[in-house]
Amino acid sequence: MKRHHVLHMAFILTFLLLMPGCAEVVKVGTTAGQEMGVITAKDKEIIDRTAKGAERAARPMTEKEEYFLGRAVAATILGTYKLDQNEKLTTYVNQVGQALAMVSDVPLTYGGYHFAILATDEVNALACPGGIIFVSRGMLTRAKNEEELASILAHEIAHVNHRDGVRAIQNSRWLEVVTALGSDVAGTYGSGDIAKLTSLFEGSVNDVVKTLVTNGYSREQERAADQGALVIMNRIGYDPNGMPDYLATLAKEEKAGGTRGFFSTHPGMADRLAVVQETVSKNKWARADHRVRDGRFDSYL
Amino acid sequence: MKKMLWCCLVVLLTMGAAAYAATYRVINEEAAVRKDRRFFAPIVIRVPYGEKVESREVKGDWLNVTYRGTQGWIHKSAVTELKIDWTALGGGKAAESTKDEVALAGKGFTPEVEKAFHDKNPAMRYDLVNQVESYRITDEKIQAFIRAGKLREPGGES
Repeated sequence: MKRHHVLHMAFILTFLLLMPGCAEVVKVGTTAGQEMGVITAKDKEIIDRTAKGAERAARPMTEKEEYFLGRAVAATILGTYKLDQNEKLTTYVNQVGQALAMVSDVPLTYGGYHFAILATDEVNALACPGGIIFVSRGMLTRAKNEEELASILAHEIAHVNHRDGVRAIQNSRWLEVVTALGSDVAGTYGSGDIAKLTSLFEGSVNDVVKTLVTNGYSREQERAADQGALVIMNRIGYDPNGMPDYLATLAKEEKAGGTRGFFSTHPGMADRLAVVQETVSKNKWARADHRVRDGRFDSYL
Repeated sequence: MKKMLWCCLVVLLTMGAAAYAATYRVINEEAAVRKDRRFFAPIVIRVPYGEKVESREVKGDWLNVTYRGTQGWIHKSAVTELKIDWTALGGGKAAESTKDEVALAGKGFTPEVEKAFHDKNPAMRYDLVNQVESYRITDEKIQAFIRAGKLREPGGES
């Protein structure tokens, strides 16, 4: 390979590596490269344009955008499932949930955490981006005490903490969103911009709903949410043994042939149970006396 | 040579002092600034989304901030630090930038986009989402719930 070609390739590779960081730095370098004759004007144009795109793509979704995404995901779910209107039970679930969220890694979100019950016997729990969390009647009635209820809610809070909902959006779609916004923060939208962004918003909502309702998160994400939930429970004083207890109930049901809803999106209950049990025993979390909480749980469920 | 070293020292100290007081932007719809660094401490002032607060002290997950002359503690998850964009110095201006700039400018996934999305999909139950968002438990009630259940109150260090 000729020396000129090696320099040419080295130049392009260097700027490919710099791209995600700073488009301006790349631009200064490509100008120098063009002046030295190492790259052509066309090379410079392509590198600069790609760097700008990469920089924009690097912008993560803001908490406020995540909030609007979460509202749309929740609105979609509530278009399918009925909202349980039992005020007392909803308040109780919110009390448990809010107390847990407060000791989670991200206690405050743009719009805060809100917990709602879906009026279905199906077993399911869904965390929308931003902090709206749904838990089905079927899921609640399988819990034997407040510790087990806390384990369900803490698991969903951990998904919100980890921004798993946002991560369900296809990278290419988010790149399009960021590109559509343009680099200039000033100015207002034209009607075409709104139409394009709305369509991208719709696609993003569908990505999240599809993951929540149909495909489920990856086993790694579920495992991380389980581990996060155990930490949250332990921080506030719920007995972490509530989680393996609840998973054992679900594992038994899965073994008996449960495939709908939660079981289709959360396969491998026995594996999850084994990992959670290992964490509990490794941390020597002994069973705690939770009779005082059992009493109030029994009055609601 | 000595003069040069002194100049460098002065520049470094000035930069250090400037870095000491960090600026943050509120990323919650409304963030509470509390008297002490714990969740159930009395609220001294509420700060709306997008506002800047200055902080000179960080303890655990809490920042001691000043907003409109009122001092108190804000949880770190309610704010994002504004970083100085050093690349802008060449242009004679040190810009502060965060990922929120675009959203603050009213771009991105905004209420405008939500409205267009809802108009396009009228079956979406935003009315019920608003109901769910109205489920709020006051600090006093959560604290009472935690105490009645013999749970641990979130401490200042968390």
